[in-house]
Amino acid sequence: MYIIVSPRLGTPGDKYEPADGVNVQALIDGGLISTDKPKKSSKVKEEPVEE
Amino acid sequence: MATSVYLSNPSVTINSVDLSDQCTAASITYTVEALENTAFGSTARTYTSGLANNSITVTLYQSYAASETEVSVYSLVGTTTTLVLKPSSGAVSATNPSYTLTGAYLESHTPINASLGELSTIDLTFTGGTLTKATS
Repeated sequence: MYIIVSPRLGTPGDKYEPADGVNVQALIDGGLISTDKPKKSSKVKEEPVEE
Repeated sequence: MATSVYLSNPSVTINSVDLSDQCTAASITYTVEALENTAFGSTARTYTSGLANNSITVTLYQSYAASETEVSVYSLVGTTTTLVLKPSSGAVSATNPSYTLTGAYLESHTPINASLGELSTIDLTFTGGTLTKATS
């Protein structure tokens, strides 16, 4: 998934879905869009619930 | 009555990037190559359609700022992309058709094109690809 960085493509922060034939790598190289990195799950374990 | 067209607010999008406010000239050349099929017995030359050979030429002000001309164009050299041009920035309609050139190849770019006392501009020619026209 790609995220809009440049207002020339749309609203920054919105998802970007490339149309047919668009050179996505050129947009990334130019800093116009970014790739959305998946968030890592939290490593902090929840405390056990006492019953 | 025939009317003349005065275009002051066309829309130019290159690889999804709206560069209209940096553009001063744009032209689309829609070409289907003519293949001669004249034969003995013909009294005039005749032709049939060959391959499409379309191109779009644009003139842009150069800018090295973020999200501007240079970063939008530089990485396109040697690759194919899609361009969308409209006579006006408004909605696509029969009187404001949209022309999309898909798979157009950018052969060259002039990152520095400077003359003393003048704003820097670049001319880009995108060749090849399939041209489609939309009216809605």
